[in-house]
Amino acid sequence: MSNRGNVKIDERTVWEKIADQLRSRSMWMLHYCTGCGAVELPPSMTSRFDLERFGIGPMATPRQADIFLITGYLSVKTLRRVIYTYEKMPDPKYVIGFGSCTINGGIYYDSYATINRLDYYIPVDLYIAGCMPRPEAIFEAFTKLMEMIRKGEANGWKRYKENYEWYKQNQLRSLGEVIIHDEFHE
Amino acid sequence: MMSSTNNIGLEEILSSLNQLFEGVSTEKVDPRQYKIITPPEKTIPVLEFLKEKGYSHLSILTCIDWIAEKKFELVYILFNWGTGVTFVVSTYVNRDNPIFYTVKHIWPTAEYYERDVHEFFGVKFEGNENCEKPLILELWNDLPPLRKDFDPLEYSKKHYPDREYQKDAIHEARIIRGDVRGEIDG
Ligand code: SF4
Repeated sequence: MSNRGNVKIDERTVWEKIADQLRSRSMWMLHYCTGCGAVELPPSMTSRFDLERFGIGPMATPRQADIFLITGYLSVKTLRRVIYTYEKMPDPKYVIGFGSCTINGGIYYDSYATINRLDYYIPVDLYIAGCMPRPEAIFEAFTKLMEMIRKGEANGWKRYKENYEWYKQNQLRSLGEVIIHDEFHE
Repeated sequence: MMSSTNNIGLEEILSSLNQLFEGVSTEKVDPRQYKIITPPEKTIPVLEFLKEKGYSHLSILTCIDWIAEKKFELVYILFNWGTGVTFVVSTYVNRDNPIFYTVKHIWPTAEYYERDVHEFFGVKFEGNENCEKPLILELWNDLPPLRKDFDPLEYSKKHYPDREYQKDAIHEARIIRGDVRGEIDG
């Protein structure tokens, strides 16, 4: 992951800096509910914890989303859809890996069906440790992400462009083929 | 609650099973569950018979790998909505060349169970022309993964790279739990 050339990934123009201030305060979240962790999202979004006070709300389509939340274990089958979805999201986009399964495979480390490390396939800005993380941890992650965006540190989407070859090669290594074929859509 | 007439019906079914089909053994698991072991050539007639007697719901068709006996056990679970009684009908097929016959003509939904059993155990169902179509796994190219001689950890290591850690956290956890003796540094 070293062919960054001369362009510094964390260099931003003044306008970008201003935009990042604004971006960090208004984000739509696509919660791709892959694993058990998704169950912590409804309490986070509803009145008890109230995600909207952070300016974050759920979004139904990747085309309009800023945050991509991967909530747990990822089967290779889902990973194909995740990559497809990630590439559909407009820049800037931020990925949060949620739960131990996205970090190192968690309790599914020996599964034939699930991957062990999310950031090998798509760039991850932030991980939340835990199995599963409670809403408090989710909020800590969101405030951290907002801070990172303001500082220009949440630049996974730039890394994806710059190291596109590396990511593609890893995706192919584990998936064989990234394109989705299935009998119900062909 | 089970009425007494249903109990009589049950007794009748069990005794006629023994009379009509040679080599069939029945066993009471609990008042609402009976296990029926059938020779392969009797399985489908038994299933047809039970369907007629009210055991009309095929809850699942699944498989068990008895690797030491070199057999696959096919398990059909039938449920009676009127009495709440379950029949577990099972039969054994050869593990080396596992072929059985479809029950698609009795329960159309069996098509998917048979595809599932084919994908995860490699049992073929004659008469189900879609049986070899992939259902859940995509681009699978190894042993059927739920066979006992398939090693999921090895597969996972080969296909899905792990995160590398400075220290062996699992080993340390074993020391803390007292499974092995040793020193923890740091
Ligand atoms: S980290 Fe735990 S809670 Fe989250 S998906 Fe994995 S097993 Fe489920």
